[in-house]
Order: sequence, then C-alpha cells, then structure tokens
Amino acid sequence: MPTGDYDSKPSWADQVEEEGDDDKCITSELLKDIPLSGVLSGGAPSGGAPSGGAPSGGAPSGGVVSGGRTADPDLVKGEPLPSPKELVNGNIKTVTEYREEEDGNKVKIIRTFRIETRKASKAVARRKNWKKFGKSEFDAPGPNVATTTVSDDVFMTFITSKEGFRMLRGGGGAGARAPPLARAAPLVPAEPEPVQAQQSKTGKYVPPSLRDGASRRGESMQPNRRAISRIYLAKDKTTGQSKGFAFISFHRREDAARAIAGVSGFGYDHLILNVEWAKPSTN
Amino acid sequence: MKPILLQGHERSITQIKYNREGDLLFTVAKDPIVNVWYSVNGERLGTYNGHTGAVWCVDADWDTRHVLTGSADNSCHLWDCETGKQLALVKTNSAVRTCGFDFGGNIIMFSTDKQMGYQCFVSFFDLRDPSQIENNEPYMKIPCSDSKITSAVWGPLGEFIIVGHENGELNQFSAKSGEVLVNVKEHTKQINDIQTSRDMTMFITASKDNTAKLFDCATLNHLKTFRTERPVNSAALSPIFDHVVLGGGQEAMDVTTTSTRIGKFEARFFHLAIEEEFGRVKGHFGPINSVAFHPDGKSYSSGGEDGYVRIHYFDPQYFEFEFEA
Repeated sequence: MPTGDYDSKPSWADQVEEEGDDDKCITSELLKDIPLSGVLSGGAPSGGAPSGGAPSGGAPSGGVVSGGRTADPDLVKGEPLPSPKELVNGNIKTVTEYREEEDGNKVKIIRTFRIETRKASKAVARRKNWKKFGKSEFDAPGPNVATTTVSDDVFMTFITSKEGFRMLRGGGGAGARAPPLARAAPLVPAEPEPVQAQQSKTGKYVPPSLRDGASRRGESMQPNRRAISRIYLAKDKTTGQSKGFAFISFHRREDAARAIAGVSGFGYDHLILNVEWAKPSTN
Repeated sequence: MKPILLQGHERSITQIKYNREGDLLFTVAKDPIVNVWYSVNGERLGTYNGHTGAVWCVDADWDTRHVLTGSADNSCHLWDCETGKQLALVKTNSAVRTCGFDFGGNIIMFSTDKQMGYQCFVSFFDLRDPSQIENNEPYMKIPCSDSKITSAVWGPLGEFIIVGHENGELNQFSAKSGEVLVNVKEHTKQINDIQTSRDMTMFITASKDNTAKLFDCATLNHLKTFRTERPVNSAALSPIFDHVVLGGGQEAMDVTTTSTRIGKFEARFFHLAIEEEFGRVKGHFGPINSVAFHPDGKSYSSGGEDGYVRIHYFDPQYFEFEFEA
C-alpha cells in the first residue's frame, strides 16, 4: 500500500491500571494526551494508532490506541453490568466496556482508537471492506484484542563491521588485528622478487621486516627500549586476539609525555593511533 | 518499532505470505487453522476452516481471489479469499509440503511428501478445466524418487518451478513437459525455503546447512552466500533495498535445552551484495520458521516456532541506514 511516510506506523500500548482506591477515571486525560495526528511518543497512557486502510474518505475502522482499566464509582458489586458504550469524537473513538473479574470486582475498560484514513488502491480498499468470516465472523470492526496485541518496543541493532572504526573506538590502537597484508601486497608488486632472490642465495630465513624493500615498520614500533618498563597488550581471553589497545609503562614521566606527543594521532597501517595517559582503573 | 503480535495459532508457524499488494497476510501453522490478517493493523479478516492436520504451505494468486493451502491431512484446499468458502479439495496420498499458483493464477502446483510408502510427487492442475480436480487427475505429475521436495516456488511467467530438495539439490522443472531443465547442488543440507525477488529474476534459498544463497532464476547460477551459525529456516529479499532478512535459529528439538540468548532467534539482516550482516531484530522466543517482506518494503513479518506472528514496521533509522563498506 503506497502510503507515504512511515511515521504513521501502527503501534499502541495497552495500559492497565490496577483497580484500587483511586477512583479517578482517566478517560479525559487519555484524550488530552492524544495528539490528533502523528505518532504518539512513548508517554505513559498512549501509543500510536493503527488503522484501517479504508477507501479514501470511506468507512473508517479503528485500531487500539490505548486502554485504561480503572475503578469506577458507578460500579457496585452485585449489580448488573452497564452496557458497553462507544463514543466517536472526531477521529478518536473511545470504547468503554465493563467486565466482571473473577473476584467479583467490576472493571471498566477504556480503549481509545484513532481512526485513520489512508489512500489505497481500489483493490486494496475493496478488500478492506470485506466481511469477516471463519473464526472472526463475529468480531467487531477493528482488531480483536484476543488475537492482535502490540508487543514491547524492539529495535534493530545495527552491526558495523568496519574494522578501523572499531579499533579507534577501542582506545589507543597499537595492537591491531592482523593488518590486511594480503590486500596491501598488490600495491608493491616489485617487492617479492628481490626477496626470493635473497632467500635462494643464503637459504636462511629472513624476517619480512629485514628483507629488501621492506619498510622496516616493525622497528619503528620498538621505541627506546630502555625507557620502557612494561608493555601490556590486552588480548581476548578466548580468541587470543588483540583488543586493540595496550598499556605502556615508562620509567620516567617525561619519556611517556614525549611518547604521547610523538605518536598520538599518527597513522599505523589503516589505523590512527590514539595515545593518552592511563586512567585509574574504575574498580 | 512496536511489533504487532498476531496470536491466531496454537502451534508453531509453518509459513507466512503476503498477497501481491501486501494488504493481507496469510499465516499457516502446525494446527488446522489458516488465518488471514490485514497487515496494516493486525486485524484478523478471517480463517479458512476445513483442514484437519498441520498446514504446511499457503499461497494466494495474483489478484487475491483464491487461496491455496496444503496440509499434512493429505489434502490441498482451494479457498475463496473473500468469503472463506472452500472451492475445491484435492486429496493426496501423503502430506502436501509446498504449493503455489502460477503467475496467471490458472495453474496450481503442489508437492507431496515421500511418506507411508508413497513417492514424492509434484502435481500440476489447470483450474480452467474443472474435471481435473473433480477426477483428481493432474495434467502432469512429476515423480521425485531420490530426495524429497522441501520447498518450491514458481519461476517467472509460469514457465517452470524451482524446487529445493532434502539433500540440498535445486531443480528447475518445466511446467509444460515436466523435464528437469537445470540441476545444481550448492547446499549440503535440506533447503527449507525458497523466495523469489519482486521481479522474479533471482531467488534466495534458506538451508539447514547454516547458509542462505542467492541464485539466478533462469540459470540457477549461484550468486551470493549468507552465512550464519544456525540453520536458516527462511529468507526473504527486500523489494526496495539490497537487503536480505534471514530467519532461523537452532532446531526446534534442541530449543528446550538452551536459553533464548544463545539460541540466536533474531531476524538477521544482510546486505545483498556485500554478504555482510548489518542488523538484527529480536523478539521471538523460538526459532523463526518463516519471514516475509511486505511488497512495499516498509515492513516485514516473521512467524516462529513459538506460534506468534510479528509484523514489524521499520523505524526511520532503517531507511536512513547506509552500509559502510
């Protein structure tokens, strides 16, 4: 049904108030709270309104907006139940029903519907006016609460799989996940050849960082060893993968300050390093 | 979003399907009730009463005049959509697993299970010839001896049907001659569901081997794979975005021994081209057995092993979301 904005999605809340000494009827309050158009925000006794896609301007059908159950001074134990009332006020329909609970107390159930008219194609509009049949044959117009309810709000959890993004969020990112070497390799096509030549000459293993044409990046990550007293790289307990941050302790405060000034904000592969003073642990 | 909860079934949902315009939603379950709902507000329009066993499949024709249901009570019913009256009844030897109307709504197809000593068959009836149903004589009956059919849909223009088998095979059967046009085997386990894209050029399969795969309708070329950690029971393609929704979770028989948190009962949204997951929606407390996109792409519904059908209208965030690749 090509109706424009998705603001008018159906949603409503069934508000149930326990019957108690409070004999205030909340009907008027409910109506006050319901804006005449648009969707209601999740305020207490309200909810958005679903409705029938009736033919333009045609017979409306309602959806539950909200219901309230309150004690009513008119309801006295033992007397017959008042008949249900229906009140249409503009595009708000209020249905008041009475029901007897198991313990003999009577409750008044107020349901508020918002009637909405939507434009739809002829075929759809015709179908909206079909008579109910089968097990719903005797259902009143509008959703039957026995079969249709509104469940709690759920949200779509969006998953971002951008690695760089995750790293940066993780804090300072020295220890990255295995950098995408495979992807980087084609960028330097000249590199592999001299390496192979060297290998065949000596037959000895040459670490990648020392091979011809290597960027010796590994060395740059080993700053003045003597100044550092401890390096702790946080890893995941189960997978052993780096969590994307590390603690580095220096013997002297000036060295640490120099490291922060010198490395923070610099790029490392596809990451941007963020180095700051360690914050005291929270626990 | 606040999902609308439809409680019209007493047992687990087997299939849900929108009609062409998407104003009606048909739901069937492992109980004999066939429900039809207005998708806009979750109001129940009615029920089609007459089955006596679990209903496996449902389909509506192009102009929503007829509804077809197949059941484990060894019958396939044809209903008048508006009144709920039964128009025709085809008795079979074994449970009807899948059914469908062709593009024109004149030819119906259904497949029966390999069961009680009977073979698995796909039967084709032409509704324009009433004697076919009266005498229970399909104009064509294709036997499938090797592996049972677990899912089937009509291809574009009613030229062929695409069927998925218990062993993971996919076959294209001509609707005219009944011969196998194309055969591929990309899945290793049972294919639970097949759904076509809006223009019927592609279709997506959901398999017990924890993947959903995208295929070309005409050639059955394998295009994309969507991987999860649990069996996939159903997959649907968004009509407006390059999005796929997968419904699944661990098998029903293992559900009682695990908590919902590790059951992975969420509906999972994948990007069609990048094959990566970008969103999840929780809600069911059992595996999802069937998912369907509204033809306008602004809402989707899921039916679960828990017996509930949930209609979700997407939040604006969904429409604003852009995949960062």
